[in-house]
Amino acid sequence: MLEPILQLENLVTEFDTDEGRVRAVDDVSFSVNAGETLGIVGESGCGKSVTAQSIMRLLPQPMGQIVSGHIRFQGHDLASVSLEQMRTIRGAQIGMVFQEPMTALNPVHTIGRQLAEVLLLHKKISKREALRQSVEMLDKVGIPAPDIRLGEYPHQLSGGMRQRVVIAMALACQPKLLIADEPTTALDVTIQAQILELIKDLQRDMGMAVILITHDLGVIAETSQQVVVMYAGKVAEQGSVYDVFDHPTHPYTRGLLASIPRLNTTPKSALTVIPGMVPGLLDLPAGCRFANRCHYCVDSCTVASPPPEQVSVGHSVSCYRWHDLPEVPA
Amino acid sequence: MTVDTQTPILEVRDLKMHFPVKEGVFMRTGKYNKAVDGVSFSIKPGETLGLVGESGCGKSTLGRCIARLYQPTSGEILFRGQDISRLSRKQLMPFRRDIQMIFQDPMESLNSRHTVGDIIEEPLLVQGVGNRAGRQRRVLELLDLVGLPARSVSRYPFEFSGGQRQRIGIARAIALNPGLIICDEPVSALDVSIQSQILNLLIDLQRELNLSYLFIAHDLAVVKHISDRIAIMYLGRIAEIGPGEAVYGTPNHPYTQSLISAIPVPDPHQRANRVVLSGDVPSPIDPPSGCSFHTRCPRATDICREQAPPLALHGAGVAQTTAACHHI
Repeated sequence: MLEPILQLENLVTEFDTDEGRVRAVDDVSFSVNAGETLGIVGESGCGKSVTAQSIMRLLPQPMGQIVSGHIRFQGHDLASVSLEQMRTIRGAQIGMVFQEPMTALNPVHTIGRQLAEVLLLHKKISKREALRQSVEMLDKVGIPAPDIRLGEYPHQLSGGMRQRVVIAMALACQPKLLIADEPTTALDVTIQAQILELIKDLQRDMGMAVILITHDLGVIAETSQQVVVMYAGKVAEQGSVYDVFDHPTHPYTRGLLASIPRLNTTPKSALTVIPGMVPGLLDLPAGCRFANRCHYCVDSCTVASPPPEQVSVGHSVSCYRWHDLPEVPA
Repeated sequence: MTVDTQTPILEVRDLKMHFPVKEGVFMRTGKYNKAVDGVSFSIKPGETLGLVGESGCGKSTLGRCIARLYQPTSGEILFRGQDISRLSRKQLMPFRRDIQMIFQDPMESLNSRHTVGDIIEEPLLVQGVGNRAGRQRRVLELLDLVGLPARSVSRYPFEFSGGQRQRIGIARAIALNPGLIICDEPVSALDVSIQSQILNLLIDLQRELNLSYLFIAHDLAVVKHISDRIAIMYLGRIAEIGPGEAVYGTPNHPYTQSLISAIPVPDPHQRANRVVLSGDVPSPIDPPSGCSFHTRCPRATDICREQAPPLALHGAGVAQTTAACHHI
C-alpha cells in the first residue's frame, strides 16, 4: 500500500511578472503514497496552488515555468513530458477539483455532455456507453435523480451539487491520483462535511491517492495521513498528520496551530498571533523566509535558507533552531 | 457578568425582510424572498451576539436591516429604546453615528482613490464633528488604536495588506464612538495568521470602548471565540439562541447539533463522529411548510411538516438555550 505514486523532487517553478521573475515554488520535495491523502497547508501566496498547477502542467502560460526538478508519476517525469502526453495523463490518470466549481464547468453545456466528454476523450467507448457511465458516476457522487440531472445546466444546481459534478468528472476515468485545490472553501460547513465524506468514500472504493490543498487545518486533520506545511514557496515542515499536529516543530507550524480559535479556547481570550505578514515573493529575504516573524530568529537565520533536517522517520523540518525550541505542551 | 442587569442597546422584535421577486415578461411581483422572517433578539451594552448560519440563511440581510441599509418589511428595531425601523433618512442621521458596520472585503468597502486619512476622517466630516485640526488629531488617535503607523494617513488602501485594510475599516467604524458595530464576516477573507490579529483587536477595542457587536460569520470556531451569546439562523429564522458555551456545548436544536458536528476539528485524534446532513438549504422563496428544517432533519415527523415550532427555553442552568423544535 505504501509505495509512492507521485514523487516531487526539488521542484522549482517561476513566474515572469511585470516587476521581475518570482520563484513561487522553491525546491519543494514530497511524495504521495498510493491510496493515501497528502494535505498541503499554507496561507495565500505560499505556493500550494502553484505546486498543484505544476503537477498538472496547467501553469498560466506563458508566465509560469517549471525551472528544475522532477515530478515522477507512473514512470513519467511530468516536469518534462510533452504536452501531448500530458493531455492523455490528465483526466485519465490524474483528476482534479478546484475551489469554485462554476469556473470548472462550462455554463452553456449540459452536465451530461461535459461528463461524457471526459469519458469519450480518454476511453474507446460509444456515446451511449459514455452517457450510461455518466449516470453511474453522478449516482456515485450522491446526486439524486442522475438521469434527469444529466440534461441540466450547471446554473440549475446548487454549489454543493456542482462540486459533486466536478468530482464526478474528475473521477470518471478512475484516476490513480486526485488533486483537490480548496475543494470545499466556497461551500457551507454542512456541505463541506458532505463533500469531504464523499472524497473519502470514493478514495476507499477506488484506492486512489489524493493531494488536498487547503488553508484549513481542521480539514487537514480530518482527511490527511501526510501533511506538507508550506510558507512563501518553501516546505517549512512535513510529516505524518500526527507528527505535524502533535509535535509541530517549525515555529511557523506552531504559530499557525496556536493562532486558530478552537471550540474549547476560552471565549474572548487573546489568541496567539504570528506578528507581521508573509514577505512578498519579489523581495524574499536571503535567509529563512519566516525569519522576520519568528520569535526564535537569530543572526544566522538571516544568512541562508535552512535545508530540511530530519526530526524523526518521515518527519522533517526546515529550521536551524528546531533543537532549541521549547517542548510543545500536549 | 454585570452586563446582564443592563437594558439592551438593541432589541429586535419579529423583524421581517421580504424582497419581492419579479417574474415573467411584465416583471410582476409574484413571490417574496423571505430573507428574514420573524426574528427577535437583543444585545446588551458591551456584549457580542454571534450570528451563524449557512449562505442564504438571511444573516447578512438581518445585519443590513439593523444598520438600516434596508427598510425592513415589518417588525421593530429598538435602538437604545427607540424604534428606528421606520425612520426616514433624515431622522436616521443621529443614529448613523451610533451604529456602524465592518464588511468582509475591506478593499471593496474602502474608496481606493482616497487616502487612509480621508477615509477615516469622512464619518467625522459627514457628522460635522470638530474642526479640521481636531479631526486630524482624532484620525491619528484612531490609527494608533487599531495598530497602524501614523504615516499611513497619506497612503492609499492598495498599499496595505488585507489585514491592514481591515484595520482601516475598523478605525473608520469606531471614529464616531458608536455603541453598536455590525461586523459582517470581518475575518473570512483573511489568512489564518492575520485572522487572529484582527480578532484580538476587535476584542481589545470592545473592552476599551464598551462596544456591542453583532458578529456575523460562517466560521463557527471564530464566532464561538468572540461571542457572549450565539444565534443560529436557518432560512430567515432563529433556530437556536443562547450563551455561547451552551449553544456549542449542549445544543438542543438538531440543526445546531449537525452544524457543530460538521466543523472540522484541527486535531487528528478527534476525527469527528458527525451527523452529516443530507441535501441543501431550501430556497427562501419557497420555504418548506412547518418547520423549515424538516426536509433535512433526522428527527422530522408529521407535526414538523405542518406546524412551525415556536422558540422555547430548553435545558437548565448553564446548559439552557432557546430553540425552535418540536422534538427536544
